[in-house]
This record gives sequence, structure tokens and C-alpha cells, in this order.
Amino acid sequence: MSYYRYFPLWKTLLEGSGAEVVLSRRTGKSLLENGVRHCVDDICVPVKLYYGHVLDLKDRVDSLFVSRVVSVEKADCDTYTCPKLIGLPDMIKSSLEGLPPMIEFVVDIQNMSLKTSAKKLAKDLGARAGTARKILSRSLDVQARYEAELLRGLTPEQAMEKVFEGGNGEHEGAAVGERNVNIALVGHEYLIHDPFISHNLPRKLKSLGANPILMSEVPQEVLEKELCRYPEISWSYEKELLGAASYFLGRDDIDGVMLIIGFACGPDSIIGEIINREVRTPLSPPLTTLVLDEHTGEAGVATRIEAFVDLIRHARERQ
Amino acid sequence: MKVSFPHMGNAYIPLSALLSNLGAEVIVPPRPTSKTIDAGALHAPEFVCLPFKVNLGDNLRALQMGADTLAMVSGMWACRFGYYGRVQHRILRDAGFEFESILLGREGVGAVYNKFRDTVDGNLTLSWLRAFRAFKRKAEAMDAIEKSAREKRPYERDRGSTSAAMDEGLRLVHEARGLKEADRALDGARELLDGVELEDVMEPPLKVAVLGEIYAVLEPSLNFDIERRLGEMGIMPFPVMSVYKWLFRPLKTDPSILIEERRARRTARPYIAYVLGGEEHQTISGTINAARNGYDGVIHLYPFTCMPENICRAILPRLESDFNIPILNLCLDEHASPTGMTTRLEAFVDLMLQRRRSRSKG
Ligand code: SF4
Ligand code: SF4
Repeated sequence: MSYYRYFPLWKTLLEGSGAEVVLSRRTGKSLLENGVRHCVDDICVPVKLYYGHVLDLKDRVDSLFVSRVVSVEKADCDTYTCPKLIGLPDMIKSSLEGLPPMIEFVVDIQNMSLKTSAKKLAKDLGARAGTARKILSRSLDVQARYEAELLRGLTPEQAMEKVFEGGNGEHEGAAVGERNVNIALVGHEYLIHDPFISHNLPRKLKSLGANPILMSEVPQEVLEKELCRYPEISWSYEKELLGAASYFLGRDDIDGVMLIIGFACGPDSIIGEIINREVRTPLSPPLTTLVLDEHTGEAGVATRIEAFVDLIRHARERQ
Repeated sequence: MKVSFPHMGNAYIPLSALLSNLGAEVIVPPRPTSKTIDAGALHAPEFVCLPFKVNLGDNLRALQMGADTLAMVSGMWACRFGYYGRVQHRILRDAGFEFESILLGREGVGAVYNKFRDTVDGNLTLSWLRAFRAFKRKAEAMDAIEKSAREKRPYERDRGSTSAAMDEGLRLVHEARGLKEADRALDGARELLDGVELEDVMEPPLKVAVLGEIYAVLEPSLNFDIERRLGEMGIMPFPVMSVYKWLFRPLKTDPSILIEERRARRTARPYIAYVLGGEEHQTISGTINAARNGYDGVIHLYPFTCMPENICRAILPRLESDFNIPILNLCLDEHASPTGMTTRLEAFVDLMLQRRRSRSKG
């Protein structure tokens, strides 16, 4: 589930240690259905997806790489990601049969740096101390470049292509203001960028002549400044949503904000309410909430997006 | 100040004692019913967890009954509960209600301490001490009554007589003013419970651990009063948590509770390596302990979409086979029905009986 966050780091690290990286196939209907079948019914869609991806991989690999993201920021108070991201490996381990041995990558910034985590991983993989250091610095480097590309407005897919293949990631006009309708997308990246579950939301927006603005473009400092205006939140990823929503809702070059939340997502149910009630003001650009689950049809998403874009265009014509 | 707070089992008894000793008028909304839940669900975000909706419904009732202050615990935790107060109070304000908030945990102890400066005449510190003493005494009385009723119920001759005695006893304690009266009320309650007629049963009752999300385990309106239901089916329930522990755990005044918590974490560690912010350690360790202590089964209760318990739910089947103990998962939401619950309980009881018989044979 942290593919869109850390994959460049992992890939470099794993390959540097002599492992071959096998990715699960892109999400598709049967993959998702398989995940749903092995999962608790009322859990959030992304976890169901994750199960699907694990099942897709399990017979094709010698060991399974899973991440456990406990905390992603260093703060004086307790911060967390989401209980499910913390307990993910435990769930997988106990509920799926016939899994290959697991390699666990723990991100717990509150207690150890990303570098320490990466070092542990390199050691687990059996890299010698000397090479390990080299691999380590290279992977952290690649990761930093990847994050920089995201800030420039590339989608994770484009950014990865650029970092790994040296392509230019065809940076098509993501700068604010170039197209006529700027729509900011706020939501977990594993929802927005999973082409199956979000039905290619960013691309759909583009085909309607709208310009999707991604959360990953907003620099950390800006997010933090926005967050100062609200009482503390303990979930780091939800903080990003709140900060980004607050930033986008306060700008006049953003024409609309779409809040993308996953059905049965615990933190989103709370943060969605906070964004709607504490952040939105009568002056904010329109805000709409799109709830995605495994039953959301492509047509449903398309209609919602079209309606939203139309609404913005009409409102503008009237002015 | 007319203060109110959402229900959690019989917690209103000690909490009322605490607040009234601080000079506040306490508004206790009626016990939540399906109407309360519907009212809460109407204003709540769609897929927020069920306790949120019940709490919100309780708060709505309290405001309609004239409360001007709502109290709630709140904090920086991994789970949603930490945000309940903040979001609920905002929802209620947006719905047009005006009231003061007391968010215990977020505002810091000092701020909450000072909130009662105007309601207390005389020394504030002394009032707090007195209030806390009353709170503790009533919490202990409540716990003792609940426990004794739990132990009697499977043996009662007339179905419902234990619960009637318990309710009456709890009422006595709730209405008692002052420590002496509270003690006398507890004696009265004991007498009532001792008066319940018991009968001999042929077989020792089935023993079942009841665990899961804390609110689902402890709030009868959520779980259709499972403790009573089981007792009246002749089954001995062992809830892993109690309202008493729930109240005193965060206060950190009772070392035995803290030790027990730590032990639970240790037992659960092979299955859950990190803290998830709910009762996951109690669920996992409770199940393991139940198996080790020869219980006949485990009932796992959790609200629809509850995050920590969803994770446990994924792990429990493994425990079921590792430790050879049957587990019944009951997922609760506003559409759950008591008949559905009864059917599933009955089937589970049959299963446990069968196991017991085949075991004693083999
Ligand atoms: S943040 Fe939401 S979507 Fe993500 S794992 Fe947690 S519950 Fe699921
Ligand atoms: S433990 Fe479950 S029910 Fe309680 S706040 Fe968390 S998700 Fe909701």
C-alpha cells in the first residue's frame, strides 16, 4: 500500500542487494475479487486490494516484501498512520495460507530514521557492510529524486518512469492556471492512482479538459503552515489530506476540490467531516466527496466527475 | 452548569457522582435505544463507526433535555475515538445547538480542573478530592453488583430475577448521596441479589469469553445486552473488560489494571507486533487465555468497519486453529437485529455443547 510512497527506495535497495524484484500485476477485476474473498468483509477497499496483490504474487516469488508503516513523522506527540497500515503484516501472516517467507520493511520515523530502516533491510538481505552503505545512499538518493518529481506535479507513474528510465515523464502542463478548470484531488494516493479502483480519475479529468492538481505537489512547509490553523491530528496521512484541502480551498486559482475517500476507511470518515465542517467556508471553491469501493462502477465515477466539471463551468459562465 | 456525557454501560453512576460533587447538575439521557442510534446516524458521517452514532444520539437527547455542557474524553490516539468529541460537538453546533464543551485529554488537566471554579462553593481542591472519592466508591459498588449478577444469572430459578435485582441495586447506588449512603446502598443491593432464588443445574455452565471493541462489549444497547442474554441461556460470560477498568485505566491509579494491560500486550505480541490504538491486545490475549483456561468458546464483538477489530478479525481464525477454541464473530451496526443475534448465539451454543460432549467422551 506504500508503493506510491516508497517504491523507488525499495527497488533500488532490493536490486542493489542482488534480489530480483517482481511486482504484482496491475489491479484488475479478478485480482480485486480474489482479495475480497480472502478478506474481512467490512474492511476498507485498499486493504482488500492489497490482499489481492499478495495473492497474485505469492506463487511467483521466493519471498514476499511487505511494508509496515507505523509512523512517518518525528514529533513530540504520538503520531500514527492508520491502524491497518500498522497491522498489515500481522493480518497477512495470520489470514493467508501458503505464503512464501516475508521480508518486512518497517517505517517508524518516530523511533528510527528511514535510513535505519533501510539499513536493516539491506542487512536482512545479506548485503555486506561495504556494499550496503553504497546501496543505501543510492536508494535514498533515488527516493529523494522521486519525491522531487512528485513535487513538480508528476503523477507517481510518470515520476517513476523518469527516475528509473531517464525519460522526461512527458510533463504535460500541470502548472496551475494553464487549463480552464483546475481541480484539486485530495485523497490517499493508493486510491487516486490505482487505475482500477479510481477508474483512472486523473486521466478522466484531463479528457474532460480539466486539469487535475495532485496533493503531492504541495510542499511540506505549506502543509504545515495550513495545519497550524486546526487542532492537532494524530494520523500523519490524514494531516496531509487536511493540510492540502485547506490549502486548495483557500486559493482562487483552484476551481474545485474533489475529496476522494475509500468506503469503510476509518480515518477518512473523520477527516472528511472535519474538512467539510472546519475547513470549508462560504468563499471556498466547490468541494465534492467521492466515495470509492469495490462496487463503484466506471460509469458512476464518470457521471460524478462530469457533473462536477459542468457545475464549475456553469458557475463561471454565470459570473 | 447542566452537564451531560454519552452512555457507556453503567458508567453514568460514578460519573454522575463525580460531577454532582463538583456542583454541576447532571443530565443523564435515557439509556440508548434504536431511536437514539437512528437520531445519531442521521447527523453522523455515513460510515463512521457505530459508537460514534450512539454517542451523538445520546448528546442530542441530552441537549434536548436542557444540557448546556457536554463532556467527552478526547485525545491523540491511533483510533477514531480520539476525535469523537471534537467532531460530534462541531456537528451539534452546526445543527444549531449552543453549549460548552469539556474535552478531557485535549484541554489538559488544568483547564478541566478550573472549569468547575464557579460551580463549587468553597475550596476547589477539596471538592475535587471529595468528588473523586465518591466516584471511586460508586464505581466499585457498580462493579461488585455487576459481577455478582453475572455469576448468579446462569443459576437463577426465575428467568430475569437476577437482572431485576441488579437494576434495583444499581438504582439504590445511583440515588445514594454521600459515601455512607453509597455503602448502605451497596449492602442493600447485595441483599437483593442474595435473595435471588437459585436452582441446581445438571452440568456446569458453558464458559464463554466476551471480548472485542470496548464499547461493543460494554454497552448493552449496542450488543443487545449480550451478558444478560447469555446468562439467561445458562451460560457463564467472562467479559475481558469492565466499565470499572475502562474508567480507571486512563487514570493510572490502579496498578493491577496496568500490569494486566502489559501482560495482555505481551501475550498478543506474536500476533500483533505494534500498538493499534484499540482493544486489539485484549482481544488477542483474551482469546489465547480463554483457550488456555479451558473456556468453551469466545464471542468477538465489534462495530461495523472498526479498524483495530477488523485486524483482529483477520487474525482470529488463526487463533481458532492454533489454540483449538471456537470463536463467534458478531459485527454490530445500526441494522443489526436482536433476532439475528439470538439465532447465531443459539447455533454457537449448540456447537460448544457438542464439542464439550465429544471431548468428555473421547
Ligand atoms: S487510511 Fe483508510 S484506506 Fe488507508 S488503510 Fe487506513 S482505513 Fe484503509
Ligand atoms: S476502536 Fe473501532 S469503534 Fe472504536 S473508535 Fe476505533 S474504529 Fe471506532
